Order: sequence, then C-alpha cells, then structure tokens
Amino acid sequence: MEAVERTVTIRNKLGLHVRPASLFVERASKFKSDVYIIKDGERVNGKSIMGVLSLAAEQGSDLTIRAEGEDCEEAVKALSELVEEGFYEE
Amino acid sequence: MNYGEGITVARLLEEYGEKLALELRAGAGGLERMLHNGEVHRPGLALAGFVDLYTFDRVQVLGNTEMFYLGRLSKKERRIALETIYQFDLPCVVLTNNADPFPEMIELSDSNDIPLMVTRFATTKFVHLFSYYLEDYFSPWTVVHGSLVDVYGVGLLFVGKSGIGKSEVALDLIERGHRLVADDVVRIVRRARGILVGMGKEPVRHYMEIRGVGIVDVQRMFGIQAVRDQKRVEVEVKLVEWNEVDDYERIGLREHRTTILDVEIQSVTVPIYPGKNITVIAEVIALNYLLKVHGIHPVEEFNEKLIRLMQERKALKERLSPGPAVGLPEGV
Repeated sequence: MEAVERTVTIRNKLGLHVRPASLFVERASKFKSDVYIIKDGERVNGKSIMGVLSLAAEQGSDLTIRAEGEDCEEAVKALSELVEEGFYEE
Repeated sequence: MNYGEGITVARLLEEYGEKLALELRAGAGGLERMLHNGEVHRPGLALAGFVDLYTFDRVQVLGNTEMFYLGRLSKKERRIALETIYQFDLPCVVLTNNADPFPEMIELSDSNDIPLMVTRFATTKFVHLFSYYLEDYFSPWTVVHGSLVDVYGVGLLFVGKSGIGKSEVALDLIERGHRLVADDVVRIVRRARGILVGMGKEPVRHYMEIRGVGIVDVQRMFGIQAVRDQKRVEVEVKLVEWNEVDDYERIGLREHRTTILDVEIQSVTVPIYPGKNITVIAEVIALNYLLKVHGIHPVEEFNEKLIRLMQERKALKERLSPGPAVGLPEGV
C-alpha cells in the first residue's frame, strides 16, 4: 500500500493539548488513509483522540506523521502543515 | 517489536532502592548510567582474570563467593582483580549480604564513576527481586489501538476499526460492573513465560472518548471499582462489520488464535450491526474462556452427547429391524 511520512516539530507553546489534538484528529479523519503519529518509537492512531493525547507531545518534540492509503500524500501534507503552523495558536 | 529501553541507576535507587534495600556507597558520579539488560552477572571468572565473553553491561552482583575470594587475595592481587572488571563500562556494582566494600572498590568506583551499592539481601533473593521489579523496563512492548476490559476476571482486548464502537462496548461493560483497564491506547508488555499484560498510559489512563459526548473520566464517573491498572490480556475480541466477515465462528469447535509480541492468544471475531448487544456476547466470551480454563469444553461435550445419542438410536434400529446378519435362524 502507498505510504508517506514526514517528521515535524511541535511549535505551539502548550504542546499537543486537547484543542490541537482534536483539531488534528478531526482533520485526519477526513482522509481515507490510515493515519499514524510516531513519537520516540511509539505509534498511535492519528484518528484517535485518546491516542494522540497519550503522546503528551510538548513544544519542541518531533513527531513523524505517517499515512497509508490512496490519499496519503494529501493527508501528510495537510496534517504536517497544521502542526508546523502551531495549530494556529500563540 | 519495541524493547524497554531500560532504567538509569538513579531511577533504580529512587524507585526501588527501598524494595531492594539498596544503599549507595560510592561512584555517585555515575548515577546516570543506563541499565539496558534485566539480567545480572556474577563476575567470578572476570575477577579471576578471564574476561572473554564477559557480560559487563549487566548489573554486577558480588555475593559471598566473590567477596570471600577477594578477601583471600593480597592487597596487590585484589587491586589487579578489581581493576580487571572496573576497566569495563559497568553500569553498577551491587554487593549482597550487607558486605563491606573493600577500600579499593570504593576508590575504583569513585574514580571510574561506577555506582557501588550494598544490599542486605542474599544474592539469590536479590536477583529474584531485581528481575521481579524491573522486568517491565526491559521487556518487549507494543501499543495497541483497542480497549482492554476485565470481564469476570478475564482480560478481553477489543480491537477493530476506528468508530466501530470499541469504547461504547467498554462503557457498557463498565456500567454492568466490569472494569476498564485502558481505552483506545493499550500498552502491552510481554512478561516472562509468555504472559501479556496490558495497561493504560499516562496521562490518558482511565479516560475515554465517547463519540458525541467527548472525553469522560471513568474513575470519577463510575468509581474506583470500575477501573484497574493492569490486566493479563487473555482473549482478543475483534469487532467487524456484519458484511465484512465471511468466516465467523458458528460452532466453537475450532479455536482461532492471534499473535501479539510472539505470544498466541485466543481470538474471537464478532460481527456487529445496529441494535446487537455486544456486551452480553462479551460476557459470554469471558465465561466460555473461564469454562475452558477449568477444563470444560461445552461444544465438545455437546458433540459427544449427540454422537452417543445417534449411536444408541442406530443400535436400537438394528435390533428392531432384523437384517440378514441378525435374523432368526431358519426353520424357527
């Protein structure tokens, strides 16, 4: 299956807290591809809010976003932009 | 497969110092050294000078034998023996039976920044406790997207696609008095003898996402009896959409298996559709598992009963309808 991944850095000050995590999951769920986030060798489902929250990814931490499926390219692009933009937070 | 990355000596002392009765005597500069291996090594041969295949990367445990050996050496010989092991990058050294460290040990520990600790436990006891407490730091682990619930004491791991209703089934089970271990993010560790143990992950442990409602604090809402911290994973329950399954079990004579971290467990595929009560099915799966654990195989017993009944019928039929072989003798 087609798969793409990209490593991004959490930029917003408060890290991946509830609001950004839900933004991420919401956006990930729009894609057909399976979406995963990998942090320190641990992989969680990017469409699961509890999964994303369990990473407790603080500002400055590196995440690998991986998508598998027909629209994986678009998924990784959109999701990494979201992270790189700091979830539009301060 | 991920392996636990280990533990620093500082953390070992902080968290298990009391349980293992460990006291630091020297080499405090090396507290950040990592233990990557859950096994210990008794460096008797290395002290005697044989360092081929020396497993220096493990905790070095010196018991009565090693200390007695060192005590019998002259000061000069003892220094050479100790330097033989201290030339390696040892994570730490532990003396058992409350042994008094030799001055050379203190000196070498400090100069090489290798923590030297003493415990009052005997060697065998210490090794046993060390493996017991620290196993999880070195064991293989994985994270599974699913829900782990203790149902009648059986660890059921619900898996299936996002949105198929794993959390809702878990919630329903909690409501009926069963206990949540973890929802959505289940960390599974393989312990010795092929036992899988599942647990939640901080900070989301015992929280759940219920679609349409949001994040729910299960412990606050249902009380302490509704949660538990860890549970052996015994049966995988795979939730699939009704039309997706072609091969679900109708009888239960065959047992399906799945493999997690190289350990085989039973796997049950349950097709779901709206209005179907998965909760009761989950309870039945757990009870069925318990029966099997207790040596009771209902389907096999049923089948034996069925075969017995048919054989009785066959025998009766043969008695009543005389065939050529069982007919009455001619002329009667």
